[in-house]
Amino acid sequence: MTEVISVKDLVMIYPDGTKAVDGVSFHVDDGEFFGFLGPNGAGKSTTIKILTTLLHKTSGEAKVAGYDVEKGAREIRKIVGLQAQETVIDWDLTGKENLILEGNLHQMRGKGLEERVKELLKIVGLEEVADKRAAFYSGGMKKRLDLASVLVHRPKILFLDEPTTGLDPQSRAGMWDYLRQLNRDEKITIFLTTQYMEEADRLCSRLSIVDLGKIVAQGTPSDLKGEIGADAINLTFENMNGKDSNGLKEEGKKILGGLRGVTDIVNSDMGLTVYAKNGAYLIPDIVRAFDEAQIRVASLNLSTPTLDDVFLKHTGKRIRVEELSKQYGGGMFGRRRR
Amino acid sequence: MTLLFDTGYLFKRSLKKLVRNPILLFFSLLQPVIFLLLFTQLFNRFSSIKGFESTGTTSYVTFAIAGIVLQNAFSSAFQSGTAVVDDVKSGYLEKMLATPVSRPAILLGRLLTDAFRVVVQSSIILGLGALVFGVFPATGPLGLLLILVTIAFFGLAWAGISLALGLKTKSAESVFGIAGFLTFPLLFMSTALSPQFFLPEWMKSVSAYNPVSITVDAIRALVIGPDWTNVWNPLITAYAVIAIIAIVTLGATMYLFRKVIG
Repeated sequence: MTEVISVKDLVMIYPDGTKAVDGVSFHVDDGEFFGFLGPNGAGKSTTIKILTTLLHKTSGEAKVAGYDVEKGAREIRKIVGLQAQETVIDWDLTGKENLILEGNLHQMRGKGLEERVKELLKIVGLEEVADKRAAFYSGGMKKRLDLASVLVHRPKILFLDEPTTGLDPQSRAGMWDYLRQLNRDEKITIFLTTQYMEEADRLCSRLSIVDLGKIVAQGTPSDLKGEIGADAINLTFENMNGKDSNGLKEEGKKILGGLRGVTDIVNSDMGLTVYAKNGAYLIPDIVRAFDEAQIRVASLNLSTPTLDDVFLKHTGKRIRVEELSKQYGGGMFGRRRR
Repeated sequence: MTLLFDTGYLFKRSLKKLVRNPILLFFSLLQPVIFLLLFTQLFNRFSSIKGFESTGTTSYVTFAIAGIVLQNAFSSAFQSGTAVVDDVKSGYLEKMLATPVSRPAILLGRLLTDAFRVVVQSSIILGLGALVFGVFPATGPLGLLLILVTIAFFGLAWAGISLALGLKTKSAESVFGIAGFLTFPLLFMSTALSPQFFLPEWMKSVSAYNPVSITVDAIRALVIGPDWTNVWNPLITAYAVIAIIAIVTLGATMYLFRKVIG
């Protein structure tokens, strides 16, 4: 396997002092579907912008397709495609014109370009509205046009910055299908960032879990979940007079620590998460123990481990998904984010 | 070569955007008509003031058409920056930068559109002047061509201010605010619409250094003619002044653009 992206000790500090990327190292092999999973502010977009030559890194090494991101910027731009977090298309142009222009900017023209555009419009299901202005497209159609526009020049590596944020569940599922197809049939290496653990779990062959500019865990989804090695039982407590939630958590930990089968106990935002082999068998014991201690359990649920549990284990937090409002505001009110 | 092609593609893009934006198109085409009809009606009596013939003509329209062409170029050029602000805010600039597009072509395509628009608008003014008021440049077709070239050149130099403001402030409101603030004093403290002898003394000295006056005088010389000997001096002065403005404003634009694209 050849490495198409290799990043070593990457650091990005913005002029205002924000350390967006804090010593990140990873590599992506040719043909992989690689993901960066993490909450807002994890440094996902910043990493993508450095790899697509839009930002200058502060320090560290970053190579794409063998080219250094600084010295080989021109070469990199020819072979990568970037879909930004916000949907970026020209609303005044038709779908077809958007794609033609994108091809033009990659030095494509003539019949070859026409045919490529036709083919792409078909793939993303926009043939019928190809000659309508993009301003009249629905949110999902705009996103598909945006995706098509970064594929015109047949990129070898595709960077997708939260490609499904703001999409309804149906459009999201559709987008997943396109992306899988691109990776599997067209052999395009994909680097995707997402806040959705389900998305990372389903699409990525390998991923990094990131938080606050650092990689906290790395591996295949099943390896990462296997690392937890147990079921997760999520508990929340009823607030009782005289005991604050921290006190309850501490007390809860002591009680749970004495139970057999418990492999780990982690603070979550709302209560505690207990990891145990065969968690289902443990539930009666937990309920009984808390009953004896006269602590009321407000909720209790059992789940097989998710990537969110992996995130929780390493950071002590859950991934909080923040949707961008005004996703399709036409730019005027679009918030710029890093 | 890539630069030429890319400039062409982006020129085509902004032209399409202009044509498809009804409000923008409407004002782009109607503005010159309104300027022509309004100003010539409003100030028509100037021509009956004693000493008006010292301007070289007895018709106010003949006198003012140069000023109106310039006024239009002036306010038109200031819209340039807002288009760039749009591209920065919508993320389209970044999308372009992720492609191997020639960087200077992004600016050149924009400027070419502005120059083109100003030439079309000026042609409307001059065409209406000829059809409605019977005013035609006395220096003939070559004079007409020179007027359009001069106005395009002037438009580019001023578009530079707007672009620089847009790139610096990244806010369309600021571009319009500052542009509006600059437009009126520069326009009215010039010989664009009123003859020089009519200005108060202090304003005469301001007007003498006002680039609007200097350019207007050159275009006016081309309109009034008919002898080319009266044309060369103001024309050469105007080109020198416009060149200085262009170097400063487009220099600032290029500097700021490089900062924006990193």
